[in-house]
Amino acid sequence: MSALAFEDVSKAFGGVKALRGVSLSVAAGDAHALMGENGAGKSTLMKIAAGIHRPDGGRLLRNGSPVDLADPRAALAAGIGLVHQETLLFPNLDVAENIFAGHEVRRGWFVDRRAMHERAAALLAHLHLHIDPSTTVAHLSAAQQQLLQVARALAFKCEVLILDEPTTSLTDSEVDHLFTVLEQLRSRGVTLIYVSHRLPEVFRLCKTVSVLRDGQHVGTWPLEGKSPQDIVRAMVGRDLETGHGEGKVGDRVRLDVRGLTRRPYFSDVDLQVHEGEIVGLFGLIGAGRTEVVETIFGLYRPDAGTIRVDDAAFAPQAPADAIRRGVVLQPEMRQSQGLFFNLPISENLLLGREAARDGWVRPLGRERAECEALLTRWGIKAASIDVPPDSLSGGNQQKVVLAKWLLTAPRILLLDEPTKGVDVGAKHDIHHLIREEAALGMGCLVVSSDLPELLALADRIVVLKQGRVQGELLRGASEEDVMHLATRADESDAA
Amino acid sequence: MSAAWKAVWRTRELSTLFILLAEIAFFAWYLWPEGGGRHPFVNGENGLLILKYSAIYGIAAVGASMVIISGGVDLAPGAVIALTSVVLGHQYLEAQWSLPASILAGLGVGVLAGGLSAALVVLVRLPPFIATLGVMGITRGLAYIVTEGRFFDVSARIPPNWAPLGVPLDWIAPIVMVLLTVVFQLFMRHVQAGRAVFAVGGNETAARYTGIQVGRIKTMVYLVSAVLASLSGVILILGQGQGKADLATGYELDIIASAVVGGASLSGGRGSVVGAVLGTLIFGVLRNALPQIPGATFYDRLIVGLVVVTIVVVDQILARRQG
Repeated sequence: MSALAFEDVSKAFGGVKALRGVSLSVAAGDAHALMGENGAGKSTLMKIAAGIHRPDGGRLLRNGSPVDLADPRAALAAGIGLVHQETLLFPNLDVAENIFAGHEVRRGWFVDRRAMHERAAALLAHLHLHIDPSTTVAHLSAAQQQLLQVARALAFKCEVLILDEPTTSLTDSEVDHLFTVLEQLRSRGVTLIYVSHRLPEVFRLCKTVSVLRDGQHVGTWPLEGKSPQDIVRAMVGRDLETGHGEGKVGDRVRLDVRGLTRRPYFSDVDLQVHEGEIVGLFGLIGAGRTEVVETIFGLYRPDAGTIRVDDAAFAPQAPADAIRRGVVLQPEMRQSQGLFFNLPISENLLLGREAARDGWVRPLGRERAECEALLTRWGIKAASIDVPPDSLSGGNQQKVVLAKWLLTAPRILLLDEPTKGVDVGAKHDIHHLIREEAALGMGCLVVSSDLPELLALADRIVVLKQGRVQGELLRGASEEDVMHLATRADESDAA
Repeated sequence: MSAAWKAVWRTRELSTLFILLAEIAFFAWYLWPEGGGRHPFVNGENGLLILKYSAIYGIAAVGASMVIISGGVDLAPGAVIALTSVVLGHQYLEAQWSLPASILAGLGVGVLAGGLSAALVVLVRLPPFIATLGVMGITRGLAYIVTEGRFFDVSARIPPNWAPLGVPLDWIAPIVMVLLTVVFQLFMRHVQAGRAVFAVGGNETAARYTGIQVGRIKTMVYLVSAVLASLSGVILILGQGQGKADLATGYELDIIASAVVGGASLSGGRGSVVGAVLGTLIFGVLRNALPQIPGATFYDRLIVGLVVVTIVVVDQILARRQG
């Protein structure tokens, strides 16, 4: 019998169809992997199961009977718990309060703290998690926070546990711990739905796999007898090589970083970006990728090392210096670091250039035409340049963040997760535009956790681990090659 | 019709002006003298009186609204006005400085107070509320220490009918207010540094990542706010004549309320200089007209409070409808 089934579920976000009639069912007691490229609709489908989104069409069946999951509470009441990719906890509250947030253990009108802590301690012991329930969550590691979400789902007596990319920020031994716990839960009859793009993990944990592509269900198969290549082919729907559009890489070194060090984030980083080259910077979370590009952009001062831009020394005191020298950064967090929701799109586009200019007067008129040309070139769907960017979809917002830097005529484009959380179409557009800019001679340094994206986009991938360069891989390297570099234990770990 | 009204409301300067005109029309009708004769509210002399007293708030509100738009708040203007008047009075009367030199000394109070606020906010990273609360206490406290309970009667040394540059004393405050309003409104709308204030108030992190020098922008707004408060203090003492330590007590809250009534958001990123100044006029008219209504004197503060709440609530409801 199926513990959870989707029937013809569809969902659109502002014109972008995230799900187009997905039907799939998950057997009770199964460990079911859900795979697909970024933007394939995995997270949307799981958020519908968790009551975060409501489907535009179709329905959900729980143990064979239709359920209406109007909100996360209803989903929890139906026994469906979601462990989010990014930990959604209250960092200021303690462990027990997080587990029981919203359904605190009460005695009469009052929260019974002692009972709550006792129950929390029991749940944590269950998960082999040795932490005091009165610890503030901000003090926990990423892995502990991830397991805390599992504990929260168990506190609600969830029978279906959905895990959305739970291992992206975990170390190998933490992954092992998580998997041990998950195996135990499954042996006790909990149904697991495991969303991931990490094939080795999927083969290790799951019995069944469903693949989504462009919002549609490609198929569901038992994993036994399947090879990783079979699944990748189902996910991508074509041979992997076709996405490559190799540009011409020039000989001139545009960005030359030597021995760059900012403790404790990274040390002794060497990397070069040539004219027309797209260089990927890969590493697990905490490897120091974002810190490297933010330091090059002048947000922080390095402790040591030199940077040269077009063969001239470069030591920005502030981002404004970097922008004046033609080095720009598209930050990782689009909403909090990239956009001004109180200002119209036109100003979002112009502020970067204006800030770098020392001039005081802001001429008008000509700039409107510039902004409108940018909207057209980037295919940004907006009512006008006078509305704030909050009405735009994630992909269009990201295009605004990227487009503003092209007004500054940059030489080096630092991109931090350029397609994080954008839909398939926008992702394609953004890749296309990055290649176009590179073809015009710009040097691009792309940070991304999305390995298939980096493999398709980058001419060369530099792999970081714990703030140190582990090696470089040329175009044509496999996902395994990169992951091997990014995770391999070296001498310093053994010591 | 209703769409047009909504458009007016959306241009918050216009809607604030509309509220002000409606308020004036109301009092003109309510206070209409029976059997003819001179109107107690609508007459030139009273109009000038309203302008003259509102301008003390208005000049300070120009700077205070910039601080609010940047996402901060300035609690010091009232105290800065007082210390400025005391320092000017002290230098002019006790130290026997010339009037221009005394005025410069008074404006120095603004530079120092603004510099201190900016340093606490930008360098020490105190929340603006706490930083300027501290500066407010320090400034007010210094005013008491300098005066030791006395007051400086500057009017005794100012020649009667003195008119600097041919402008009668009573007219100086309104004229300065209008000039500053125009200049800073244009600055905030059309100069890069002014737009950066909106950016910093809307999303400080994004401002940093966009290359805006957030520290400089914040320093600028706290300096402008304190210096304009100081200027307001200079004008107040020249017109009114007495430098005292308890001058302008509580003005900071009226000024903040004016900015909010004029469309500013205390969470930053939204508001306008013209709106804030019109807001001070709305309160100026209330303060002038209410005492003329028999029995209304004690309702003064209550009505001011109700007006603030009503205007802001209507504003939010309309903003929500727009979506």
